[in-house]
Parts: sequence; C-alpha cells; structure tokens
Amino acid sequence: MSVAAIETQGLSKTYDNGRGCQNVTITVGKGEAFGFLGPNGAGKSTFVKMLVGLISPTSGSASLMGQRIGTLEAKSLIGYLPELYRYQEWLTGQEVVKLHARLSRVESSSIERRVREVLEEVGIGIRSRDKVKHYSKGMQQRLGLACALVADPAIVFLDEPSSAMDPIGRSEVRSILKRLKDQGKTIFLNSHLLEDVEMLCDRMALLNNGVILRHGSVSEVLHKRMSWLFKVGGYSPFLLSWLEERTGLVIKAAIDVKRDANTFSPAQAEDSSVVWLEAELDSEEQVGWLNSLIMEQGMTLYEVSRKKERLEEWFVNALSGLNHRGER
Amino acid sequence: MGIIMGMTWKEMLRKRVMVLTLLMTLIFLLAFWFVASSLGKHGIPEGRWGMGNSELLIAKFTNGTIILTLGFFFGSFVLAFLAIFSSFSAIAGEAEQGVLQALLPRPLPRWKWYLGRWLGFIMLGLGYALLLYVAIMLITKFHAAIPMDPTAWILSFLLFASAVPMLVTVSMLGSGWFSALGNGVFMTMLYGAGWLGGMIEKLSISIGLEPEIMNSLKNMTGVISLLMPVDGMQRKMLSELFNLKELGGVVSLQTAAFGINSFANVPSGTFVMYGAGYTIVAFLLGLWIFGRKDL
Repeated sequence: MSVAAIETQGLSKTYDNGRGCQNVTITVGKGEAFGFLGPNGAGKSTFVKMLVGLISPTSGSASLMGQRIGTLEAKSLIGYLPELYRYQEWLTGQEVVKLHARLSRVESSSIERRVREVLEEVGIGIRSRDKVKHYSKGMQQRLGLACALVADPAIVFLDEPSSAMDPIGRSEVRSILKRLKDQGKTIFLNSHLLEDVEMLCDRMALLNNGVILRHGSVSEVLHKRMSWLFKVGGYSPFLLSWLEERTGLVIKAAIDVKRDANTFSPAQAEDSSVVWLEAELDSEEQVGWLNSLIMEQGMTLYEVSRKKERLEEWFVNALSGLNHRGER
Repeated sequence: MGIIMGMTWKEMLRKRVMVLTLLMTLIFLLAFWFVASSLGKHGIPEGRWGMGNSELLIAKFTNGTIILTLGFFFGSFVLAFLAIFSSFSAIAGEAEQGVLQALLPRPLPRWKWYLGRWLGFIMLGLGYALLLYVAIMLITKFHAAIPMDPTAWILSFLLFASAVPMLVTVSMLGSGWFSALGNGVFMTMLYGAGWLGGMIEKLSISIGLEPEIMNSLKNMTGVISLLMPVDGMQRKMLSELFNLKELGGVVSLQTAAFGINSFANVPSGTFVMYGAGYTIVAFLLGLWIFGRKDL
C-alpha cells in the first residue's frame, strides 16, 4: 500500500486565545499539489507550522511519508517557505542558501553547484553575493524559495509564496511550482490567491475559523460556475431579455465594470453604445455560443474575458449561510 | 552544531559586535595604562630614597592590588555587558524576525541549535575575557607588582570568566521566555541588581554600620547574590588573585585606599559551587523551554 505524502488525523492546536485549528483530517498523495485556502486568521499557517515541526499539536497525529511530524526523518523530507520570511541579513544570499543546504545535509561536494542552481532558478543568481539586508521583500521571498528547494525535498510547504512579489515574480513562481509538480514533488500551498490554487492544485481544502469546511478536488470545493464578461456595442435592454430567454441564463448588464474589484452594477445599464454583460457559464463552449448569439443580434463584440473573482468575494459566497462549523 | 556555532561567530563579526568591543577595550586599556602609571607611584618616593627592598615590594604590591581592583572592576562590567548583549535576543529576536521559522524545520535537533548558539557566544566571550585579563595583568605588572602565583592566575581567571557562561545562559533562558526587548531589560536589571547587592554589602562594611542594620542588609544582599551570583564571583576572583589567606596581614587590604572595593566578606567556596549549579540549572531549563517552544 502506498504511503500518503501528508496524512493528518484530527490534528488540532488551540492557543490561549482559543484560536488555532481544530480536528483537521486530510490526506495528500505523493506528487499531488494541495491547496489550502482560507481568510486571514483561519489557521492555515498554524496547520503548516505543525506539519513542519515548528509548533506542537494540542491533539491528533500527522505523518509525512509515514514519518511522524517533528522527527528528524520527517524534517529531512521537507522544504518550507514560511509566511513570515526573514533571513540573516548579515549574510549574503548565497551564504544563506548554503547554510540551509548544510543544515539539510546536502552532500558537501555538491553544495556549491546546488546552491548556484537554485539561486539561478529563483532569479537571484546575479545578486547572490549581495548581503540580504540589501534585498527587497520580493527578493527575500525568492531567497526563501531557494532555501526551501535547495535540498531537493520530496514535500514542499509554501506559505503564501508570492505575497510580496510583483506580477512578473508571481508568474515566475507559478512556473517554478509547475516545474516542481512535473518533477513529482508533493506541494502544499497555503494561499490567498484563488488563481494560484486553481492553476496548480489538484485538490484543495477550505479552512475557516480553524475548521475545514470543504475539501476535495478544486472544482468540487469551489463549487461554482465561472463568470464571464462580454464588452458589447449596440446594446439595448430588449436584447438582454432576448438573450436571457434564448439561453436560459441570468445575464447582467452594466455601463462600466472594474473587473478586479467586482463592482458590477447591473441596474445602471440602459440604451448605450457600449456596455458590459456578465453571465455565469458552465464551459468555454457556452462562451462561444453566447458570442454568436450576441453577434447574431447585431451587437458588436469588443472583448471577452473571464471575471477574476477575489477570494474575499468567493469566501463571502462560499461561507454565506454556514455557521462556524461549516453547517448550514 | 558546528554549523550553528560558526554562524554565531560570523554574526558577531559581521554585526561588528566584536570589532566595536575590541575598539572600546583598546581605549579603556589606554586610559587604564595612564591610571596605572599614576597609581603605581603612590607611596614610592622619587628615586626610592629611604626605602628598603621589602618596603618597596610591599608598596608596589599594595599599588598593584589597587590597580588590579580598578581594572577588574571595569573589566567585569564590559565582560558582563558583552555576554548579555550578544545573547539576549538569541531566541526571541530571531523568532520575532522569522529567522528561526526558516531554520528549525531543517533536520537539526533543537538542542543542537541551542547548544551551538550557546557555545558560540561562550567561546567568543571567554576569548575576550582572556584577552582582557592578560592585558590588565600586564599593564599592572609594568607599573606596579602582581601576585606571581600561576595557580592564583588560573583560579582567578576562571572566576573572572565565569560571568560569561553564567550571563549567557540566563540570557538565553530569558530569551526563550520573554520578548527580545523584554529580555534585554530583564537581564540588565538582574545584573544591575546583583551588582547593587554587592555594592551595598561592601559599602555597609566600609562605613561600619550597627550590627542590626548590618544583619538585615546582609540578608537582603544574600538573596540578591543568589538571584544573580556574578558580582559575588568577581569578589571571589579578586580574593583568589591576591591570595588573601596567604598574605597574612603583610598588605592591609581593608585600608581606605580600597574604599568600596574592600576585601571584607569574600564569598565562600560553597558560593562558587552554587554559581556553577545555578548555571547548569539555567542551561537545562533554557534547553527544555526552547525544546517545547512554539514558533
């Protein structure tokens, strides 16, 4: 029988203030990418810290590849990028990664090569001889990623791995994670970024107030249809009701929409040259179908895009009507 | 453990703690040279006219004792503050910054990290203590006289340097308990209290208080010395260096020249044993607390 990469049974940590996480039971298979989503203070970092041996559980048990958490055997399997990442600022980037390599018992003959490789991989090769105190937050996060990867771990725990990075940095981190996944590494990703989890993870769990509300495949947990936005010209309210009748979908219209902020206000749209339509669709085939219907009615289609849903909004929707134990 | 010890040394060097300490020590030693030069002439007439060899020796030895007492009075301060300020944020500071959270998930037992840091601080502190001890002795020898007993040198050095493991150990224990800033304040106050206790004791003897007042002060200073034995160890160190028992009244060390640094009420051998036990218990307690600490 294959041993799970990560297995927890009723893992709990209760702090003096009553917070923490309660009775978390999950299994992550080898080579799987697992996303852990939740709002601030949900207990995500507490859970990861228990798995990497930084805090002791109040109750429950957990193992990494069959090794009890906190043991040296379990620790030798992991790479960890903490949420609060700070490194010895009096060392150079290269020295920090080398220190982590030596502590992780990387063979001394290959340390130099391995350190150089990971520093290149995370994009700080050229500045690896600078002292850490001269690094920006994003650079330090890249350095943290290099430290997490230097020992070529079987399981990588990443707590908000791109929180301090610019869009280019985020995209690079996604590529690195994708590459790790392709190499068969097990990835445990704590994130606020729904996009990252959707893009990388096979399965995920939603944590709130220290309790797992849902877990399963990403589509199961997200349990939602995608919203799409269509920028059209030649719109009239009549056309909206025609489209709704024809497709059976609920379609909203607005004059303007800030897509990232989700300020779609449907009541505002009247006869106008250009408006935005929003519809929840099951598949990309439906997008094509709606496109053709829009154009069939003589409207001009300027742009089609998937609406970015912010985690906060998704949480409001996902958690609405649930009590703190996740029961309706 | 060796990796952590090496990292500690690198930290002390890169943060310029040692460079600054050595620079300030050099300034102190220069000043001490001139103080020793002036005090070394006390009671010795120009050209030693009218003095016999034994009288000259006693005068030089008395001056040497005064100079050494002053030198080690300052030396013990510097050593104590180096020990405290190098280690007071060893755990709390790194945990607050997030450095420990990245290091400790590595396959390294916590006790090895703790011992590595402890040894790193201790070895640097002991090296510095040796340098300071030798410099003070040589300067005094040049301007006056010092006891020429190697056993007394070794014993007194060990007692002088005992401040390093004692303070580093308590400082690391506090660092596992309090915040970095809180521990800095705690350690300074604790050391200050120990120093004040010793001072009150010396002062009460030198001004000759009534027995009742003396007893109540002794009880109070005794408790303070138990809480922080460093000052008591320093007094014991001077007593071992001057080999008070052997002097047999040849040199009066209770004279006004010594003032608050008089040599009455020297801690016993049992107190030294207590100091060693105190350090061991603090070390084990610190290790235990760190092993269970949530980061």
